[in-house]
Amino acid sequence: MIRVKALSKEFGTVDNGNAAVLALSDIDFEVRDNEFVTVIGPSGCGKTTLLRIIAGLIPYQQGEVSIDSRPVTGPGPERAVVFQNFALMPWADVLGNVTFGLEVRGVAKGESEGRARELIKVVGLEGFERRLPKELSGGMQQRVGLARALAVNPQILLMDEPFGALDEQTRRLLQEQLLQLWERERKTVVFITHSMEEAVMLGDRVMLMTPRPGKVKEMIDVPLNRPRSRDVEKSPAFIEIKEYLWENLRAMQAAQP
Amino acid sequence: MKKTTFRDWASRLAVFAAAVSLWELFLSHSQNFLLPTFSHTAIALFNLVFQEPRFWEALYISNQALLVGYAASVVIGIPMGLLAGRVHNMDRILNPYLGVLLVMPVAPLIPVVIIALGLGLASRVFIVMLFAIVFITINTRAGVRGVEPALIEMAQSFGASEAQIWRRIIVPGALPAIFAGLRIGLGRAITGMVMVELLLVASGLGRLLLEFSGRMQSDFVFATLLAVIIEALVLLSIMQALERKVASWAPDISVG
Amino acid sequence: MRSMPAAETATKTAAPKTSLLPGALRRWLTGYGLEVVALIAGALVWEGFGWMLGLQWLPPFSRVLEAFVQFIQSGAILSNLQSSLTGLLLGFALSVVLGLSLGALMGRYRAVERAFDIYVHALFVCPSILFAPIFFAIFGLSDASRIAIIVVYSTFVIVINTATAIRTVDPSLVEMACSFGCRERQIFTRILLPASLPLVFAGLRLGMGRAVKGMINGEMLIAFVGLGALAQRYGAQFDAAKVFAIAMVVLIIGLVSNAIVQALENRLTRWAG
Repeated sequence: MIRVKALSKEFGTVDNGNAAVLALSDIDFEVRDNEFVTVIGPSGCGKTTLLRIIAGLIPYQQGEVSIDSRPVTGPGPERAVVFQNFALMPWADVLGNVTFGLEVRGVAKGESEGRARELIKVVGLEGFERRLPKELSGGMQQRVGLARALAVNPQILLMDEPFGALDEQTRRLLQEQLLQLWERERKTVVFITHSMEEAVMLGDRVMLMTPRPGKVKEMIDVPLNRPRSRDVEKSPAFIEIKEYLWENLRAMQAAQP
Repeated sequence: MKKTTFRDWASRLAVFAAAVSLWELFLSHSQNFLLPTFSHTAIALFNLVFQEPRFWEALYISNQALLVGYAASVVIGIPMGLLAGRVHNMDRILNPYLGVLLVMPVAPLIPVVIIALGLGLASRVFIVMLFAIVFITINTRAGVRGVEPALIEMAQSFGASEAQIWRRIIVPGALPAIFAGLRIGLGRAITGMVMVELLLVASGLGRLLLEFSGRMQSDFVFATLLAVIIEALVLLSIMQALERKVASWAPDISVG
Repeated sequence: MRSMPAAETATKTAAPKTSLLPGALRRWLTGYGLEVVALIAGALVWEGFGWMLGLQWLPPFSRVLEAFVQFIQSGAILSNLQSSLTGLLLGFALSVVLGLSLGALMGRYRAVERAFDIYVHALFVCPSILFAPIFFAIFGLSDASRIAIIVVYSTFVIVINTATAIRTVDPSLVEMACSFGCRERQIFTRILLPASLPLVFAGLRLGMGRAVKGMINGEMLIAFVGLGALAQRYGAQFDAAKVFAIAMVVLIIGLVSNAIVQALENRLTRWAG
């Protein structure tokens, strides 16, 4: 379980003497085990910052962030991140990229390759093990990123607008694939997005954030049945929540200069 | 496809033939008896390579300086570049010096080096090193800084230690630029070697050149120069091939 | 609660110095301050070692500055400087003319490119100083040798950059011009020339730097005039301070000429990104 209490994050800019920027202010929320939470908010609301704090990539001074009651002080084996721009090593092939996390943690070569091949199959890239990232489409590259994250068997998946850099058709396919994967093994997921459809489609709950300094405006339940299929987009509940999100986001955007 | 390649080589040969004819034309009209014809130069080159042991001896002596000097510049330059690329404050301290050394020609300092280290191998090695080191350092640094921060963050997210980040992300990521620096540095090192040979004619190829010109054997002078040009082109082509192998995945960010 | 990931990348801003320093000083330090301090520190170290070690080849930095100032005041180097600069300008001008012409032809006409590319490339990567003795043999101890060396140093980088510049002009612009009925000459002057200017200037800047190197390297070898000759002479006299001072003069020539080309570039390519 992820617990965030009274978290504030300030970015100081030293070289031009301006006041520090308050990115997050008094963030308070919880993510239960095996829950899929999507996070949405206007640009600059600090959602990426929040994710990186939970991932242990940036430090924080005020507040508490803990995983299963243990405070977050850095990256850890129970969490894995999927990045918006894939962050694949261009010089390594698909297999080399997927085994990366395992190798860094000291898993023996044979074992890590075996596990990697398994996951490459799961994400549907069997046969592409020896290809380089530049030979793959965006959607395929992100699937490699996903396989890499899953390979280390994390409890928690932190996904930073993972489909943001892809075209709409690829995005929709990957959403469905992600849902299928999640059905098989229900990890705890924190998923950042700027798409309302995506937020409602994927999440058990949607966390709506305010513009900078980012606060949690509301946690919205998504009472749609699992497993979710594309049809769910036509259901009244879906449309209602989506509209609600849009109303709020539009108001927040309008209020900004 | 085949036809175009034939046409390419035909036109290249034509340019070569034109250049040679121009040379011969120029010679027949000039008063300069010191200039060999193309054919004489070619014959002299053949002689040098196959019948003149002193040529190979001289080549060996001169290349000693090249080898040791280049090795020194690699061994010192790459770590400096890695450090400058990774540690921001180190970079800022080195930056003004690198900027100055980049623009400043090394040649005027050769007399100072001679005062300090004499006329022997030490000077020659040091001068070659000076010529090469700046470009190696700068390109290494550019390579390290060019590594996508997202990749480093990704590695951190998997709990990689600093050493692991270096070994698995920074060095492989910077390798193409490092090799570009090695290639450019090699060219510079050869320049240094030649400058040294021509200024300090005590040994090696410089001495040979002096002898040949003293004896008015201009065809051999030209042949020796041609031999060095060929050596340079061969070494650099090898380096380029290596570079292409290492850097097949990367765009070109080289300096120099 | 502080967490500490592995060392920051070089792109992040420096950690703030102690809060004991006043804001203005801190801002300057993280602005240009550190570089300036580093240079001054270097000069001081040089000064220190110069006095302490008393080596013939390492005069204290102040001596070098002294020699430099003396040059300016007494005008001792004036005629040499003049020779050097004249050679530089003539050589560079010639390489610009040659470089732009060949580069433009290679950029525009594939046949030309294919015929000359391996030679241009070979001459570009080959250390240009190797041609110095050849020119010496042809032109003897004359200005023509020096200028020829500068031309070899500088031309090929200009050719390559110009060719690339023209080749990579957005083809849709050329297409557009054709659709309005432009003739070859017009396409060249109205489209290719302006569009390729940024990259061409990059080549010119690099060429300028190479020309300065060619100037001094050539003069060291064919040392009868110019700053190179002076460097050799002072070297023979074991006057290290003066040699360093000459190096400083050449450095300044390099920086100033680069700045001039850069300024020209900024003016003519203001529209570029």
